[in-house]
Amino acid sequence: MSIVYFEDIEEGDEIPFIDLFLSKDQVRQYARTAHMYVPRFTDDEGARAEGLPGMIAPGVMSMGLLARMISDWNQAAMIKRIGTTFRSPVLPDRNLHLRGAVTQKNEDDHTVECDIWMENDEGERWVIGTTTVAVPTKS
Amino acid sequence: MALEFDRSMLGKVFDETPFPPVTKEEILEFAAALGETNPLYTNEAAAIKGPYGGLIAPPTFVTKLRAQKFTPEHLPRFGKVGFDGGRDLEIYAPVRPGDELTMLSTIHDIYEKTGRTGSMYFIVIRNEVKNQKGEKVAVIDHRIMQR
Repeated sequence: MSIVYFEDIEEGDEIPFIDLFLSKDQVRQYARTAHMYVPRFTDDEGARAEGLPGMIAPGVMSMGLLARMISDWNQAAMIKRIGTTFRSPVLPDRNLHLRGAVTQKNEDDHTVECDIWMENDEGERWVIGTTTVAVPTKS
Repeated sequence: MALEFDRSMLGKVFDETPFPPVTKEEILEFAAALGETNPLYTNEAAAIKGPYGGLIAPPTFVTKLRAQKFTPEHLPRFGKVGFDGGRDLEIYAPVRPGDELTMLSTIHDIYEKTGRTGSMYFIVIRNEVKNQKGEKVAVIDHRIMQR
């Protein structure tokens, strides 16, 4: 299990990034399990009929992927709060990059504040957010 | 101009939805759909030896709960089109297999923001999730953007 302790974290630390190819099938799989199986999240034609450029990933899926980045980084971490802003529709069938950095350490409750975001190959940040994460201590 | 709407609607519960017990399978499926590898969410045998003594759901699991009524009947309309502006999630307790969750919905806030492209209106729908023991599990704020 990969565990990162509060004492070993510094403000400015980057969270190990995740580069992924988000397939349409993965979006459909998420839509199915999350009871969001509607055209905009499952097929291009149905999404275009709604005025979208093609099928998109649910905003909460992007949020879930960003939360996964935190859990991949530190399997003993507990997300206390996560907030995301959906700036642009997330189009699957392409590479996406999940990124994050520690912006603040809170000594009183052993939590860290992080900036988190999802960007495309062009560096456009489609989803941005922040999270407060409780991390274990050595003592 | 100040935004005009009936402020008495703020904070009033307009929906209460109970859900069937959470199953181990739906936790595993949800974790798989996100590509989670943390054994707390993916491997029951390993999770039993962990800090929670069993499998728990990934933190954003509660965002898949669907209220019977997502908005109240008389949701104010300020713009022509609505977008999903974002989500804020606060987590208070883990979700485990067997949990019977209930979700209460209110309009938490309505506000206006003026940007380069004109006015945007935000309606914040708040979902409060509790479990069968009455513990608060999570609070989810949806920011619906209208323009």
